[in-house]
Amino acid sequence: MIHCNISICVGCRMCEVSCSSYHFGAVSPGLARIRVAKLEETGIDMAVACLSCAEKPCLDCPTEALAVGADGVIVLDADLCNACRTCVEACPIGAIGFYRDRPLFCDLCDGATACVKACPSAALSYLEDNRETSLAAFPPVRGNPNQRRAQYVQVQGAPLRACWKNGVRVEP
Amino acid sequence: MTIYRGSCLRVDLSEHRIHRGDTPENGIGGRTWNSVTLLRELEPGIDPLGPENILCISVGPLTGSELIAACRFIASAKSPLTGYLGDSGARGFFGPELRWAGHDQIVFTGASDRWVYLLIDNDRVEIRDASHLLGLDITETTVQLRRELQDPDLQVAAIGPAGENLVRYAIISCNLARAAGRTGMGAVMGSKKLKAIVVRGDKPVKPVDAEFFKKVCVQLRKNIEGHGEFEGRRLYGTTRIMDSLARMGVLPAYHYRSTVFEDLEKVNARALRRDHVVKSKSCYNCNVHCSRYNYSLFSEGEGPEYEAQAAFTVKCGNSDLGLAVGVSNAVNRLGLDCISAGEVIAWLMECRHEGVISESDVDGIDLSWGSREALLRLPELIAKREGIGDLLAEGTKRAAAKFGSGAVKLTAEVKGLELFSADPRGIKGYALMNAVNSRGGDHYRGEPMIELTDNEELALRRVGHREAAHRWEEKGKGALVNYAEHLGLLSDSMTMCKNISCCMDVVDFDLAAEAYSGLLGKSITSRDLWEACSHVSQVEREFNLREGLRPEDDTLPERFLDRPIPDGPAQGTTINIRRLVKDYYREKGWE
Repeated sequence: MIHCNISICVGCRMCEVSCSSYHFGAVSPGLARIRVAKLEETGIDMAVACLSCAEKPCLDCPTEALAVGADGVIVLDADLCNACRTCVEACPIGAIGFYRDRPLFCDLCDGATACVKACPSAALSYLEDNRETSLAAFPPVRGNPNQRRAQYVQVQGAPLRACWKNGVRVEP
Repeated sequence: MTIYRGSCLRVDLSEHRIHRGDTPENGIGGRTWNSVTLLRELEPGIDPLGPENILCISVGPLTGSELIAACRFIASAKSPLTGYLGDSGARGFFGPELRWAGHDQIVFTGASDRWVYLLIDNDRVEIRDASHLLGLDITETTVQLRRELQDPDLQVAAIGPAGENLVRYAIISCNLARAAGRTGMGAVMGSKKLKAIVVRGDKPVKPVDAEFFKKVCVQLRKNIEGHGEFEGRRLYGTTRIMDSLARMGVLPAYHYRSTVFEDLEKVNARALRRDHVVKSKSCYNCNVHCSRYNYSLFSEGEGPEYEAQAAFTVKCGNSDLGLAVGVSNAVNRLGLDCISAGEVIAWLMECRHEGVISESDVDGIDLSWGSREALLRLPELIAKREGIGDLLAEGTKRAAAKFGSGAVKLTAEVKGLELFSADPRGIKGYALMNAVNSRGGDHYRGEPMIELTDNEELALRRVGHREAAHRWEEKGKGALVNYAEHLGLLSDSMTMCKNISCCMDVVDFDLAAEAYSGLLGKSITSRDLWEACSHVSQVEREFNLREGLRPEDDTLPERFLDRPIPDGPAQGTTINIRRLVKDYYREKGWE
């Protein structure tokens, strides 16, 4: 999985650019499998991609088009997918993209991890051990994917803001 | 030749009608399209705040691509502050989103009879009611629109109370603190009763020659990361300039009365980072991320950049950096240009110091140097046009005319636009840039940075004069300013961050030509781009001449011409602006 260190992410979205460019040779946030939530009024930025979470609610696919592949990534069988968006809506943190009738899952670029290489502040890293993070605390059906991603990042950012409030320096 | 013709959205706010067309055939994106549109479609002599004015918002073919920091949008209209051509760009994330929505330029004509905002969701474009947003500041407006449209990733360019109230130096701002700040484009937006532009887009920007384009992008990234100022800019952004300007002896302390600020260590970049900054922030697709987020229990936000930091500290004689940071946040939220607002306040303080106004002229507000009351109260009074704020909202030129000749002599503006935070006498290229450029008193049209480097080889290569590498030299400054103007115009067309393209000198016409060629899949030379920029620079001059500009308006404020720098490392330095302007005219072929 791709891990983002929220205390040093500056929100430049170079990860989105490199992801979309790597997979499609073109740039658009709609093509990216990693998305940056920028909570501008609180100064928090964080890139969010599939965490290979313990629950994997996305796997509950009506056409059984999804499976878990190597390294815990979600693998789509495009022939079986009917673009119903059930998986997109099931993800509690809005980490599944959708473009032109296909859901987009982080595939770790088959090991190339373009976003990690592109990240200029070293906020992103590739965690090989796939620690099976639980997302049980995040209700799956509140809001749309962008809103869920923002809610997730707001929770992740709370400790950082507490540091700021208490005057604790978080130096990269 | 036509290099790229984009799609243009025409929004008639009087009739609430929208139709689609093309951008002008001349131009290479961004400011070039806007200037051509305005020269062609505006009648000379119109009221900048009347419905006849046209507001153009544009991006360029490279915006939202993989090219680093191609992130700006350019807003242009006839300026309510100068009466000449106005334009200003903002970084952040709005520009790329507009490009991803498939629109290269938006041209707003007429004026709405009620407050509206424009919603762009790819091809769906709607004019919507904005009455519920009235009076909200820029942060509140952005947050409210993202909430009610249920998308926290929406990009919003909005005006604050200052724009609504037609303050002549109101800004259009995106991402809460990224402003198209100069020349009052927010007031033009307000005069059209347009509160915000909201964009969502996901159409890919796909280079035609992807492999070649990628190479150019990688090259630019290398140029930036290998640059000597890379680490300094990452840590401090533009605020690092304060110490440099102090060393050069051109700090504008106490509104240009001195170049020495005794409490420099309390207000400089290191102090800011140590006491107020909690993290770095970035614009779209940039590896420098030179912006910073400030946080205190009372106020938080992005910034300040050097201009706001200096304006609210050294220029106003204020040693309390925390106060200045809070004022910067407030000015951003209210929607005021920090350069003009800072200049208005500092000028008032000097007027009080010189005794040309009294406190009863300014609603009894304490105007002593560094006055906390003035710094806290004036921005809000100006933005809301309350009390003395109503006059100050007109800018220093108009306000000084009311206060009389003593106050006029203390102003620091060119063509009505307030000057930046540096003493032009000690930096001849910047002085010339302020005197001649189409916006008025402004350093950012294109940065003649080379004169601060002492790098003679670079100066020789770029402008053909070794002497141009030294800030105190007059020789070669006409050529330097002409080059810097072209590079600035190129940046405003590529919509690239000028801190990178102009200040770091990592983008030149060759690299730009390769970027355009790769993206568009056709052969575009640096000569083509230079000529496109030369053409539009003449268009801009023609616009201003048509509005009544005279050669004698290409000058500096009187206060810099009749006396030398009084103290500090550059003590005794004078400037002969006529000679510099002549040199520039010769370079332009305007004799």
